[in-house]
Parts: sequence; C-alpha cells; structure tokens
Amino acid sequence: MNSSVRKVPWLTRFSVERPRLVMTLILAVTLLFLTQIPRAKTDTDPKNMLPETSPVRVYNDVVEREFSLHKDVIVLGIVNDDGIFNQETLGRISRITDEIFKIPGVVVRDVTSLTAVDNVLAEGGQLAVRPAVSEIPRTPGAMEELRRSLLTNPLLVNRLLSGDGTTTAIYVPLEPAANARLIADRIKTILPKEAGRERYYLAGDPVARDTFGIQMFYQMALFSPIAGMVMFVVLWWMFRNLTLVFAVMGVAMVSIVWSMGLMIGVGLPVHIMSSMIPVFLMAIATDSIHIFNEFYFRFREAPDKKQAILDTIHAVGRPVRYTALATAAGFAVLALMHIIPVKIFGLFVAFGTVVIRLMSFSLIPAVLMSIKDERIRAVSLKEDEIAHWTSRWLSGLARTGLSHSRLLAGGGLALLAIAVLGISRTHVNNNLVDWFKPHSEIRVADQIMNEKLGGTSLAYLAGVSSVPDFWKRPEALRYLEGLQKDLEGLAVVGKTFSVADYVKRINRVLHQDTPAYDRIPDSQAEIAQYLFLFGMAAKPSDLDNVVDYPFEKVNLSVQLKTWDARAMRDVIARVRTYTAGHSLPGVEFKPAGIAYFNLVWNDEVLSDMLRGFLLAMVLVFTVLAFNFRSLRWALVACTPLLFTIAMIYGVIGYIGKDFDMPISVLSTLSLGMAVDFAIHFVGRFQQRYQEEGDLEKAILWTAARPGKGIMRNAALFAVAFSVMAFAPLTPYITVGLFIVSMMLLSAAVTLVGLPALIVLFQRGLKLSSIKEKMP
Amino acid sequence: MSHFTKTFSRIFLILMAVVLLPAPLLAMEPAEIIKKSQAAFYEAGQDFQARVKMTLTTREGQQRLREFTMLRKNDMAGEQKYFIYFHSPGDVAGTTFMVYKYPNRDSDRWLFIPAINLVNRIAARDSRSSFVGSDFTYEDVSGRPLEADTHKLIKEEAVNGRLAYVVESVPKSAAEYTRKLAWIDQVTFLPLKEEYYDIQGVLYKVFTAGEVKEIQSLSTIMKRTMENVKSGHKTDVVFERVQYNVGIGDDLFSERYLRRPPEKWIK
Repeated sequence: MNSSVRKVPWLTRFSVERPRLVMTLILAVTLLFLTQIPRAKTDTDPKNMLPETSPVRVYNDVVEREFSLHKDVIVLGIVNDDGIFNQETLGRISRITDEIFKIPGVVVRDVTSLTAVDNVLAEGGQLAVRPAVSEIPRTPGAMEELRRSLLTNPLLVNRLLSGDGTTTAIYVPLEPAANARLIADRIKTILPKEAGRERYYLAGDPVARDTFGIQMFYQMALFSPIAGMVMFVVLWWMFRNLTLVFAVMGVAMVSIVWSMGLMIGVGLPVHIMSSMIPVFLMAIATDSIHIFNEFYFRFREAPDKKQAILDTIHAVGRPVRYTALATAAGFAVLALMHIIPVKIFGLFVAFGTVVIRLMSFSLIPAVLMSIKDERIRAVSLKEDEIAHWTSRWLSGLARTGLSHSRLLAGGGLALLAIAVLGISRTHVNNNLVDWFKPHSEIRVADQIMNEKLGGTSLAYLAGVSSVPDFWKRPEALRYLEGLQKDLEGLAVVGKTFSVADYVKRINRVLHQDTPAYDRIPDSQAEIAQYLFLFGMAAKPSDLDNVVDYPFEKVNLSVQLKTWDARAMRDVIARVRTYTAGHSLPGVEFKPAGIAYFNLVWNDEVLSDMLRGFLLAMVLVFTVLAFNFRSLRWALVACTPLLFTIAMIYGVIGYIGKDFDMPISVLSTLSLGMAVDFAIHFVGRFQQRYQEEGDLEKAILWTAARPGKGIMRNAALFAVAFSVMAFAPLTPYITVGLFIVSMMLLSAAVTLVGLPALIVLFQRGLKLSSIKEKMP
Repeated sequence: MSHFTKTFSRIFLILMAVVLLPAPLLAMEPAEIIKKSQAAFYEAGQDFQARVKMTLTTREGQQRLREFTMLRKNDMAGEQKYFIYFHSPGDVAGTTFMVYKYPNRDSDRWLFIPAINLVNRIAARDSRSSFVGSDFTYEDVSGRPLEADTHKLIKEEAVNGRLAYVVESVPKSAAEYTRKLAWIDQVTFLPLKEEYYDIQGVLYKVFTAGEVKEIQSLSTIMKRTMENVKSGHKTDVVFERVQYNVGIGDDLFSERYLRRPPEKWIK
C-alpha cells in the first residue's frame, strides 16, 4: 500500500475489505427506515405554511368566530348560456340544493343558493323575506317577472347571480371536521342526474387543496420514479455497467428512504415542500458520478482494483466532502427560517445529503469491489482524456476560455448588466390557483366564476370600534358605503358586501321599492329598527355574518376576481388611502380572509427565502474559502454560480414570470447544488497544478478529466429534471425547468469561464504559492 | 283439543295481552298525546299575558337581550291572535308585532316600525323561520298543525323524576326537521324535552323546559331553553308576570293599537 492509502478515510478502507458486510448493514438500516414510509400522512393545506399561532391565522379565526363564518366553502357554479331563468334550470338548482342538504358534513343551515338564500323584497304592499326562488314560476310572464326582480337586486347580483342571468352558484359550507374530498365527490355524483344544457363547475379552496394533494402524490409516486428511470438509462449509457448504475441509484434510494423514513417516523406530515425531497436527493446523489468518473480513469492507468478505488477516493475525497458540505449547508440554512415546511424540507434534504456523502465513502467502494474486473476493464479502456471525443471537446472549450479570456470576461460583464436590468423588472406575486395547469378543471372553474360572478378569492375587512351600537349610526354606515364604492373602483374587486347593503335594501323595500330610498336612513333608530326587522325575518346567520352582537364590529367582505397576492396588496393600499382621506374616529379596518392570508404567507415565504439566500451564500462562500484556504479562490469559484443565478433571474424578469413562492424557494436551493461544479473544478485543478506546474496544461487536463465528470453530472441532472416539465402542477414544472437550465448553464460557465478567470487573475490568485501551501 | 279449551285459550290470550301491555299505551293514541300537549303548551286559558325576557347567546358567549310583553287570545275554530310589544333593546322600544294564526293556512303578520311610523305586513319565509333571531321558530312559539306529522309513541321514560311519553313525530312533507322526539309529561302534558333531527339525521336542536309553575291552576313553563347543538347558539326564555284569562278584547289586535298600544296591556 502506498502513502495515499493512509489518507483515505477509515470507512472506505473497511468497505473495501468487507464489501458484503457493509452492503448488508446498509440494507438492514434502509429496511428499518422503509417500515416507516407506510405511516405517511399528507398535509395539503397551504395555510399550514404558517403555524396556527401566527398572528394572521389567529386573527382569521377571530373574524370567523365573531361573524359566524365558515372556514371551508365549496362553490358549485352552474352556467346555462341561454340563461338560467327557465323551469328546467331552476328545477335543477332546486333539486341539487336539496340533495346537497343531505350530504353529511355540510352545514345545512348556511347552504346558500337561489332556493336557499334570504331575499328581501316588496311584494303586493308587504315586506317579504324568503328564498330568492321559493317556487318555480309556471308562466312565461311570471318567469320574466322573477328574472327582472332578481337581476335588479343588488344583494344577489354578482354574488349568487351573474348580471347577464346565465350563471348562478351554490355555496356549500363545511363542518370543521368534514372531509372536503368526500363531500365534493358526493356533489359530483348528483350532477350527472341533472345533465342538460347546464355546465357545472366545482371550485373553492377545499376542492383546490384536495386536488393539489392528489396531484402531489402523482408527483411523488409517478414523476419521481420516472425521473429515476430516466437517470438509470442515462447512467447506463455513460458507464455501460449495470452494477455501477445500481450503485448510483442505490445511493439515491438509500438517502431518500433514510430521510423520508426519518421524517415520517418522527411524525411529520408530507407537505408540498417535503414532497420534493426525493427528487432533490436524487439530483444531489448524482455527485457520486465524480467517483466513478475518476475510478474509470484510474482503473485504466493501474489495473489493481482495490488500489484504484483507494486512489480514486484519495483524489476526489476532498471535493466530494466539500460539495456535500456546501450542499448540506445550503439546505440546512433553511432550518433557521420561519416557515415550518421550509425548515423541515431544508433539514431533511441536508440529512439526506449527509447520508449521500456517507454512502460515497462506504457503499460505492463496496459496490465497486464486487464488480468483476473484466467487466469494467472493457469500458474503462475508452476513458482516455486525450483520445475520447468528449474529453477533446471539453479541453477545446477550456482552450477557448484560456485564449479569449478578456473577451469572455467582457461579454460576461455585459450579460450581467443586461440581467440586472431584467431582475429590476421582477414582479413579486403568488397565485395559488395558477399552481394548476391552464386547462385543469380547477383553473377553468375559477376562470368562469371570476368572469361571471364577483370573484372567488375572498377578503374580509373587519371595521372595529369599541363603542356598542356604533354600526347603527348613519354616519358610520355611510362611511362604510363610501369605502365599498371606493374599493369597487379597483379592477380586481368584483363585489363588496356589508350591513350597509341590507339597510339600504330594507329602506327601499319598506318604501314601496322606491329607488330614491336605496340609501342609508338619517336616524339611528330607523337603522336599528330596520335591522331588527331583518333579524326577525331572515335566518340568523345573514346578520351575524356582517355585524357582531353588540354592533361594535362590522365585516365588509370583498370578492376578488383573481388569486394574485398583489390584488390584496392593492386593496389594503386603497383602504389606507381612503381612511387617510376620510376619517372615522375610533374605527380601524383590519384585513382577514383567505386572500389576505395568501398575501401574508406569500410575503413571509419570500422574505424568508431572501434571508435564506443571503445566509446560504455566506455559508457556501465560507465553505469554499475554508476548502481552498483562500478568499480569492472562493470568489473565483463562486462566480459561475452567481453569474448563472443572475442570468436565470434576469430572464424571469424579462419574460414577465412572477417571482413567486416556488421560484423564491429555488433560489436558495440552487446555491448549494450549483456550486458543486466549481468545487470539483478548482479543487482538482489545484491538485493537478501542484503536480504539473504548468497552468495551461493543468487547466486543459482538469477540463478533460474532472470536466467530464462535471458534464456527466450536469447532463444527468438535466435529463432527470426535464421529466418534471410534464408534471401536473406548475410549481414542479418551474422547479424542473429552473434546475435544468441552472445546471447546464453553470456547468458551461464553469468549464469555459473558470479557465478564463484563472488566467485573468493568475497573479492575484497566487498560483505560485499553491505548491507551498498544499504539501 | 275441544271447542271449549280453544275458546278458553283465546280468551286467556286476549286477557293476558290486556293485562301485560302498559295501560297508558292502550289508553292514549300518540296523536292524542300531542294534541293534549299542544293544548297545554300553546292554548292554555282563554287568553294569556306575560313579560318575556329572551337571551340569545352565541358560541363565543356574546349575548343579545330582547324583552317584550306577549299577549295571546284564543279565538273560534283554533284561531289565535298574538300581540308583542318590544321594550328592549332600547333603540327598537315601541316596535310592535302582531300575528293572526289560522289552523290550516299561513299566518298573517304585521310589524309597526316607530322610527318611520309605518305598519307593514310581513310575509316571512315560512313558519320554520327564526322567531326574532332566536333559536325558536315561529312554529316552536305558536305550534304546528297536528296533521302535519305522523306521530308514534316510542316509549315511556322519566325526565327529572317526572314520567313522560316519548313521542316521535315525522313530517309528512318537507319541514325544518325530519324527526322530532318529544318527552311529554304524563300529568301536565307539557313538553319536558324535545330533540330535533335534521335532513342528515343528525341532532341539531334541543328544547329543555326549566321551572314549571301552577298559575291560576294552569301548569306553565316559566323557563325554557332552545339550543342549536350544531352552531352552539342558544336562546333562554324567562316568563314573568304570567296571567291567564285577563279579558283581552278583540279590538287590541288592530292596526290602531299596533301603533299606540294601550298602556295597561303592555306594562
């Protein structure tokens, strides 16, 4: 044994000596973790991105309790292009409503539909409060009369009825413990019995959540394995040895099973974030390619297998260790963030990365020992950095970098400037419904409902005073009315609704439906008595939803026509401007509801990610500086990564894609992964230069030999992740495309840009002193 | 077997059945029980006057208080007239409400709104809708036609030491509930407890009678509660100054008195 063997870790030496024992042990531990997987529970509620104790969730609960609002509401949209005012369609609405009543878990008393909503109207000289459609008219005249009466009723239009009379909705609130999926399925079984000219659309937060959950499982159970298979094929094409391919895949599987098993074992649910752990670990596991890459070269040079393995680990051990460290650090940083699923994701990917590193030094050497010598020899004969076309092409790339270093640097700077301009155009936004594909049922339903009705994304503005009976005062209600009018001036606001609307409606109806009385009365007694009258006739929740018992707080609901987080930002800004310009002493308007929650959540994730990105950058830089024992080298090694990230975000800015949750999460993740190439390149270059002493030759060798590993790694990454472009949910597609372009770009920049940088800054990098620094 | 023994065993069997079956089950038809109960609960006396305090309580413990004077007069052929004068909340004081209840058709309702000095007829949703925002429906307050439900005697059971018939009532056509169980006192025929089941077959509303007092030798429930166990909302009702047969005239139930009710009836 030569001197290099003693520098090889103890674990590797043991694995080479006792390959079978090592493989058996690893298998046993893996089986142990595997037993935990069937206990997996999923959590598809985006609300759980923030803990239940977060102020926005706590306040949402307060508002829901104070105004008897339901957390989960399924919306069934019914469209008949010829109009819904005919006996057939109204009959269907009535029957469907009655069937929905029977579904367990539905809050019967608060189901809202044309046949189950309180309508206030003047009828033959008396005030009537009864369902908008209490009986289906039998004559065309009566039908036309009903149509006219409902379409001129502001309490109904845009909420339950579209202005053109073609669309209505049934709102189905769910009991807190109800299973939304079962209820949605039961509703779906009602619809075929009512098939006709009508089209039905099922929407609402619970439906979206469940669809999301199902597709998340598709992602894990279908797309992760497909990505694995694709990797398998590409690996086989690269190394032409099944055992070897199994080894790479085995490392990936072991790390996935250990980290998912541990996560599920400690009782954590699988969330949208953690459902991506397998794909990420698979990608990170490809780093072991560098070991095989080097092993093939070594085995060709010195055909003693054990010696070749130990030499290989000696040569690549340091970069492998540091890439794992950089990757693990990049992910572990997420544990310091506020968002719990992000923390969990970061921690368990970091854990998986450590497992991968452990496997690199144990499982891989053990597997290599068990491969028959002749098998590898045949393939390894082709691995020659001078003869093989890929190696020649790679050193050609590096040569370009060397000879046109100034041109490249100039071009790079110019591109960077253009990218920065693109980044400055970035829109920060997030839209949960856009996580579904454009032609998915959910997106289509949402789009139709937003076109026809007031909007599916709901916000509440709680007007809080501390004076009992405050919201019976005429000036208070007029203020509310003014605010509503102002908000409705926003294009994204489809409808607003408050207690003021009831008061105006009753005032008008009590005065023989005279339009002039469609206003807030002048005396508090009048308002109080109108509301009392309304409370005597309507169902209790009608009033409870808009005002609290002591009349200290009102709930102004705002329907938004889009799930864009920025729409809510606009609403809040508008409220702020309005309240600044018009004062109502002692009253504060506080936002709540799902639309507001989405905004807060979006902002929290984004700021968390920005912090995480900066922190990861500092950490990765520290790891690099420590690895190379030089700040300048660390800077050089960081450049391809930073350049790549700038390019990608520049493009995102230019094409107008929103800087949303998935994109912001990726920025942090990408750091730890993309820096690997530079670590390998610089590390191996430094080693080679030490032995060689010739800058140009050392660079060309590095590009041809470890460079091939980098290229193989990038290609494998790209192919595996490109599978995600076919995923059913857009965040996964974004992740796939983003990683593919990042890997390819950073590999290219590493192979061309690093040679150029090294040549340009050779003095500053103190190349001559490297020999002395590294014995 | 001889002719004699055959006849004898028949007679014996019939006798056994009569002896062994609980006497009240034989004595009263379930519809009869409900009818007597309605008479005791909704129709006691010729007329009736009380000061009523109604407290509505949300799941969160927020409360609303309504205080009113309630007058009732029984007319011919099962017709009834109700007159309600609201004392509080303060900003609705003076609001009056009048109902003509008919046995086989929708009631007529009028409301006087003092702030605009207007008497308005109200066509409420139906008798199932909430009575002044409480957990009681109009039906719960003034009764439901006997023939609207199919009644069945389920068992007998003691409630707080008082023996009660347990009668199940199932509506013949769509109603607020799909099944109601009533525990009816075998002596006073007042309901001691009622359970209402909704369209999903789930218990949603529970009526409980509290204190019962003899007033002018008529048993009267002085305290009652209706709780919606699904929404957590609850309504407590307390009767005070209850009087029967005070001689309310027919003229009280008119638009004129709706606007300006006589002091002696509403105090």
